[in-house]
Amino acid sequence: MSQSLAVGDPVVRPAAAHERVAAALDPRRALQLALGALWLLDGMLQFQPSMFGRGFPQMLAGSAQGNPAVVARPITWSAGIIGHHVVALNALFAAIQLLLGLGIAWRPAVKFALAGSVAWSLAVWWLGEGLGGVLAGTASPVNGAPGAVLLYALLAVLLWPADRLPAARHPADRHPADRHPAARLPAARHPAARAPAAPFTAARAVGRPVAQASWLVVWLGLAALELLPASRAIGRTIADTTPGEPAWLTGIDAHLASALTRHGLLAAVALAVVLVVVATGTFLPCRPARAIIVLAVALAAALWLAQGLGGILTGSATDPDTGPLLALLALAFWPLAPSPGRT
Amino acid sequence: MGAPIWLTASFAALMLTVATYCAGRLAVARRWQRPTELDTDAGHVLMGLAMAGLLVSRLRLLPAAAWEPIFAAGAAWFAWQLLRSRRRTAAASWRCLHPAPHLVECAAMLYMFFAATPLTARAAVTGMTALPPSRFSVLALLMALFMVGYVVRVADRLPPRTPTPTPAMAPAPAPTPAMAPAPAPTPAMAPAPALTAAPANRALAFAVSSASPAPTPTSAPSDALTSLDTPATPETSAPAGYAPTAARPQLAPRCAALCKIAMGLTMAYMLVLML
Repeated sequence: MSQSLAVGDPVVRPAAAHERVAAALDPRRALQLALGALWLLDGMLQFQPSMFGRGFPQMLAGSAQGNPAVVARPITWSAGIIGHHVVALNALFAAIQLLLGLGIAWRPAVKFALAGSVAWSLAVWWLGEGLGGVLAGTASPVNGAPGAVLLYALLAVLLWPADRLPAARHPADRHPADRHPAARLPAARHPAARAPAAPFTAARAVGRPVAQASWLVVWLGLAALELLPASRAIGRTIADTTPGEPAWLTGIDAHLASALTRHGLLAAVALAVVLVVVATGTFLPCRPARAIIVLAVALAAALWLAQGLGGILTGSATDPDTGPLLALLALAFWPLAPSPGRT
Repeated sequence: MGAPIWLTASFAALMLTVATYCAGRLAVARRWQRPTELDTDAGHVLMGLAMAGLLVSRLRLLPAAAWEPIFAAGAAWFAWQLLRSRRRTAAASWRCLHPAPHLVECAAMLYMFFAATPLTARAAVTGMTALPPSRFSVLALLMALFMVGYVVRVADRLPPRTPTPTPAMAPAPAPTPAMAPAPAPTPAMAPAPALTAAPANRALAFAVSSASPAPTPTSAPSDALTSLDTPATPETSAPAGYAPTAARPQLAPRCAALCKIAMGLTMAYMLVLML
């Protein structure tokens, strides 16, 4: 290929400006894109060969065990229908997840896709995950409770593209177009100028109290689940995640499981304490809050490792489990800017 | 249990479509004298053909031993372009602006041919419907995650509609009727001369947009995304006042972006099959 193909004068493109805009990507949009990427990954995982076999409806039916009849009956019913049309329905489920991911990534469709993802997530949480085993008494943060799809729904709400509170942005982070004089509104006329800035991205759409409440419910809920009798056998739970995984991951999980088997109760209490500490994070001043968010991300990574990376390397996972979602949720609560007098 | 044949065949058909379209872009770019990312389009032609052969064995044109040096050369080319881009030199229109994703694409192709040798041997008989797991599944996972991230990034910068060309951004005068700007696919576009090119060329020119500044408020999804940044395509991220009047409009950038999305999704699918 020669340059003559390109015809005449080479078009010099504004790469530098482009890079600046990319670097200044709105934090909420970045988190939305991460959520979209996770939906795309889910869709790809749903296309795995094992999902087109009998194992998929059996896995769904298995989530009914231990649940009250009112919860279990619809699960069994839907698993039966899926079992009769597993190829077509699994392809449909995968396509829906792909479309949700692409819709979130494509700006004109973001609201529709986020709303759809909430509805889809709640349906899957019930019919596919048996409410995460919360009512069955088998839920544990280590085995993926309360269910990754519930976190998808929560993130979709928190990252909704509306502004109850405006974003706190440093002047240097503004979009180049915003800096153009013609694009500016007088400060007094700008509706966002009179409202206090959102302390973190998750508060922009729903407000600070609701966002903090959701954070508290998630992490305190995880702590409570960790103290359930079924969750105290952390070592056994970790050991159960290993079949089908690569040798290196099996080795890590086996070492972790053997180390925790003798001290199951102590490990459960310690993990619950850490989860409670994380739950307080959004109520703290900026710097301690950032430290807590880092702790939350690290905890999410540790949980993901204990979950065997959600079984994603086994060829039979339908999602990457709660680890990446908890990390994404934590990043949505990253303090954007220190509040006056609170540093 | 393998993936359904119709599924792999659908992905293979998608790849052949992308390869054919990108070959058409190369031809049209030469005929219409319109800038396009030649290295990207050529890479997509080759990748589309190779991936179709991996997905459906009957579509295999060349053996793995022939594809490997091709994609090794492609990886070297994009690595060189990546090094050049670090020097912040202005990119010519015929080279891709972001070589890193294409470097990973070439690496993924090499991975699929090299690391999964049993895969290719088996695919010769069965196609890609029943694959043994790779010993390097983490590498496949990382590349699949990269491809998924690349897809959402491209989709994020996909303009919602073709921006209305302003007089300052109007394409250069067309020397022949076939080089006239494409008619607008949306009502927002100003009327344009009727397209006299062949239907295939009309499809190629469907989404032509210029090296224009950020979309006008009427073209931005302001109702849904009031707080979002302006879509940051290379074409839309030019600072205010950037008006290369001598620049020719890029050839169908939205269709090129759709090709990248299709290529990224299919590659991610193939990599996930190898987990």
